[in-house]
Amino acid sequence: MMGAGSIVVVRNLVKRFGDLTAVNGVSLKIEEGEVFGLIGPNGAGKTTILRIMATLLLPTSGYVNILGYDAVKEASRIRPYISYLAEDAGTYRNLSGREYLSIVSRIYFDSNTEASMAVEEAVRISGLGERVDDKMKTYSKGMKRRLQVARALMTRPRLAILDEPTAGLDVFHAKHIREVVSRHVKEGGTVVLSSHNMLEVEYLCTRVAFIHRGRVLFVGEAKAIIKELGVSNLEEAFIEVAGR
Amino acid sequence: MRKLFSLVEKEVKDLLRDPRIYIGLVVPVVLMPLLGFLMSTSMSHSIEAGAKGLKIAVLDCDKTALSNALLNLSMSLGADVKRIDAADLDTAVGEARKLGSNALLVIRKGFENDLVNFRRASVEVYVVMESMSLGSMGAYTAVEGVLALSSKFFSNMLISKLNPSISPDVVRDPFNISARSILKDKIIEVPPQMLFNQLLMGYSIMIPLLLLMLSITVVQFAATATAVENEEKTLETLLTFPVTRYDILLAKLLGSSILAVIGSILFTGGFVLYFNNMLSLSGFNFPVKDVSQLLPPPPPESFILLAVSLLLAILFVTSLGVAIGALSSDVRMANSLLGVVIVPIMIPSFLMMYGDLDTLPLALQLLVYALPTSYPIMIAKDMTMTPISFETIIGIPYSAALTVLVLYATSMLLAPEKLLTVQYGLRLRGARRRQIKELDNQSTLG
Repeated sequence: MMGAGSIVVVRNLVKRFGDLTAVNGVSLKIEEGEVFGLIGPNGAGKTTILRIMATLLLPTSGYVNILGYDAVKEASRIRPYISYLAEDAGTYRNLSGREYLSIVSRIYFDSNTEASMAVEEAVRISGLGERVDDKMKTYSKGMKRRLQVARALMTRPRLAILDEPTAGLDVFHAKHIREVVSRHVKEGGTVVLSSHNMLEVEYLCTRVAFIHRGRVLFVGEAKAIIKELGVSNLEEAFIEVAGR
Repeated sequence: MRKLFSLVEKEVKDLLRDPRIYIGLVVPVVLMPLLGFLMSTSMSHSIEAGAKGLKIAVLDCDKTALSNALLNLSMSLGADVKRIDAADLDTAVGEARKLGSNALLVIRKGFENDLVNFRRASVEVYVVMESMSLGSMGAYTAVEGVLALSSKFFSNMLISKLNPSISPDVVRDPFNISARSILKDKIIEVPPQMLFNQLLMGYSIMIPLLLLMLSITVVQFAATATAVENEEKTLETLLTFPVTRYDILLAKLLGSSILAVIGSILFTGGFVLYFNNMLSLSGFNFPVKDVSQLLPPPPPESFILLAVSLLLAILFVTSLGVAIGALSSDVRMANSLLGVVIVPIMIPSFLMMYGDLDTLPLALQLLVYALPTSYPIMIAKDMTMTPISFETIIGIPYSAALTVLVLYATSMLLAPEKLLTVQYGLRLRGARRRQIKELDNQSTLG
C-alpha cells in the first residue's frame, strides 16, 4: 500500500550485481510535489536506486511502487509519467537539438500541437536559442546537459528522476537549471535527484536521504538534520552521520 | 505507429548523417566506375602499345617465293618486318633482341615444298616477354593475327589451285553449326555458351554477390546504430521512454534496412558501371544478347519465395547486428565482433557462387542449409534453371523460426535489466582479464 500522497514507495530494496551488493535494504517514501535529494559518495548506490525507479533495473528483492504501479510488474504503465536524466546521458551527434526534442515529444504526445508546444518549452528551458538547430556534435558539454534537462522536463512528468542534473554546468547555467527544477515542482511535478553538490541539495530539496554503502543512514529535512547535529552545513552533517 | 515512426526517423537521420556510414554508401558508386575506367584504359593502352609498333624479326631458312610472299604479306598488314641471317636459333634470338623486335618468326626449310604438296608447313614464333604486362600479350596477339590472315590467304590460294569453282570457306569450315539450349524442356534460341556466360554472371555471381553485400551492409549498419547508442550513452535514456523494446528493435531493423537497400542500390549502380567500363574494352566484347528475354519466365510463386526468404535473411542478420551493437561498448568493439557474424554469412555465399551445392561435402552443405542468408541465393539460382527444390522450400519455415528466435533473443537483450547486467558482466570480465595480465607482466618483470 502506498502512503497518503506518496508518489514513490521503496521498501527493503536490495540490488546485487554478482558478488557486489549495490543497494542493501533501502526504504523511503517520496511525497507528491517535493524535491527529494539522494546524497552520498561515489558508489553509495544512488544511481542504482534512481535506475530502479526509472524502471531500467529490476530489484533483486524488495518492493518499489511508483505512482501506484509496481515498478517490476507494471513498468510500461509507469514510463509515460516519468522522465529520467542519466548522469552521463549523451546526445545523438548527427541530429540537431530541435530534431531530437521533436522526436522525443512525438513519442510522449499523441497530438502534434502538444508535441510542438513541448518542443518550444524545451527550447526555452535549455536556453540554447538559435543553436538548438545546430547538430548536437557541435555542442559543449554544458549545452548537451541543458538540452537533456530540458528534454526530461518538457514532457511535464509527474516524477522527474534526475541523476546529477547540474553536472558539468557552470555556475550560471547550474542556477538556471535549479530555477527550472523549482518551477517544475511549483507547477505540480515531483523531482527526485542525486547530487554531489551539497549546497545545491540544501537549496533545492524539500527532504534528503543520506546513502552510504547501499544503505539509507538518514531521511528528513536538510535544515532539521543540520540543526539537530549542530553542524554548519549538509556536508558536515553527512560526514557526521556516515562516521557513526 | 507514431512512436515507431519517430524512432525510425531518428535511426535513419542519425545513420545517414554519420560520415562512417554515408562515405561507405557513396564510395562504391564513385570508386567502382572510376576503377573500371582506369583498368580498362590501362589495359587497352598496354594492348594497343604492344600491337602498334609491332616489330617482327624473320629468319627465313627456306628463301623461296612463298616464304618471301609470307614476309611481304606480313609487311602489308602493318608489321615492321626485318629479315635476319643466323646459323642457329640462339644467334637469331640475339639478332632479334638487338633489333628490338617483339617477336622472332622462323620459317623452316621446306616451307614452300610442304605447301605446294598440300602438307602443313612449319612456322615457329618466339615472343620476347619484356614484362608481365598486357603489352607482351598484345604483341603475341598481333603476331597471331598476322599469321592467321596469312594462313587464310595461303589456304585460299591452295584450294583455288585444286578446284577454282569451289568456295575455300566451305572447304575450311564445312559445317554450318547453329547451337541452341534446352531449358525447362523448352528450346531457347541461344547458344549454350552465351546462355552460360550470362546466367553464370547474372544468377551465380551477381545475385549472390549483391545479396552478400546487402547482408554485410545491413549487419554493419544495425551494429553501428546500436553500438553508437552505447558509445554516446543514449541507449539508457531511450530505454526509459514509453516505447516497447520491440519498437526500439523494429526501428533499428527498419532504419538499418532502409539504408542497406539504398547502399545496395548504389553498390549495384557502381558495379554495373564498373562492368560496363571493363566490357567496353576491345577483346572483351562478345555478342551480348539479352538472354533473359528469351528464357521462360520464372513461376510467380518463386518471386514470392524469393521476397520472403530475402526479408527473413535481412531480419536475421539485422537482429544479429543489433545484438552485437547492444553488447558492444563502442563502435570499434562492435566492428571487431562483426567478423564473428560476417564470416559465416560470407562462406555459404562464396560456396554457392562458384560451385554446385550438391557436390559439396556434407558438413559444408549443412552449413549452407543452416543459414537463412543462403535461401535467397538458392531460390535466385533455381528459379530460372530448375524447379525450386524441396530442401529450399522447407528452408523458408526453418528460416522464419530461426529468425523469430534470434529476434526474440535480441529483444530480450534490449530489456534494460539484461543489457545493463550483461554489459556490467562483460566490463567486469574485461577488467579482471586486464588485472590478470598486469599481474603476469609484473611477475615477469619481477
